[in-house]
Amino acid sequence: MRQNKPSVGFEFPPYVVGTVDAEKMKTMAALLQDPNPIHWDVEAVNSLGLGSRPINQGPNNMAYVANALISWSGGISNFRGLKVRFLDNVYAGDHLTVIGSVTDVDHVDDGDLATCEVQLVRGTVDSGDIVMAGQAVVLL
Amino acid sequence: MISEEELQSKVGYRFPGGEYLLEPYKNWLTNDVVGARNNDNDLAHPMFCYYAALNSMGVSLEELFAIFDATSEDGVMFGEAEIELKRAMKPGSTYVISGQVTAAQRKKSKKLGTFDLVDFELNIHEDDQLVGISRNSFIFPRELTDASE
Repeated sequence: MRQNKPSVGFEFPPYVVGTVDAEKMKTMAALLQDPNPIHWDVEAVNSLGLGSRPINQGPNNMAYVANALISWSGGISNFRGLKVRFLDNVYAGDHLTVIGSVTDVDHVDDGDLATCEVQLVRGTVDSGDIVMAGQAVVLL
Repeated sequence: MISEEELQSKVGYRFPGGEYLLEPYKNWLTNDVVGARNNDNDLAHPMFCYYAALNSMGVSLEELFAIFDATSEDGVMFGEAEIELKRAMKPGSTYVISGQVTAAQRKKSKKLGTFDLVDFELNIHEDDQLVGISRNSFIFPRELTDASE
């Protein structure tokens, strides 16, 4: 579904990622050939003093935000860019939601290019922790 | 710890680069892992801009850290990450990756002490057309005791 006439301040619908699954991290570790055991070995996480649950790969957290933007903008081809700062680890079992709002709109030949502030929130949207934040650009 | 002059001399370092075949099965599995839809796989998940670039820049992360006189055991951290797509990537396509170190700065903070912030940019081409750019920064912790200075 394409959105019409985005305006500055518009908040796109919250995108519920759901609960982060430790088993998915194992698949991604194999796909990325990532040897860091914090993504699958609880003992390794413990020994580093980082808690007692596997830690999600940072690119997975970026991917959730990309999913939200694709869902809102109507397709992969409308995704233009995403820049993020990693603010905290995301752990297996965390419940995540992507929120964001439009900060600028540039009218181009293909449509409206919307720049957005985006956040990945752990817990409830109103009072949870922001674990990743940044800017994104999508074509609407 | 490398000197600031040595650190600055790394700016402009060009990665060997390489080719990346975006395998359809990897796109399917990636979509499955991150909760993206798998009902239309003509276009790849945008995160392949990152995966392709990092996979085929021509050095491993450990080799990249070594360029800056560090190892993964030094606690190197991701600072920022950015992907920019000129057009969507496609499963089954082969991309050419190239890139370089774009900035390197020595900084101090209360939390990290002395650290080096290194930026690098990787370009993704298909048939000489720029498809995407992956920009990343790494934080190299250097001397924690300097934080109190």
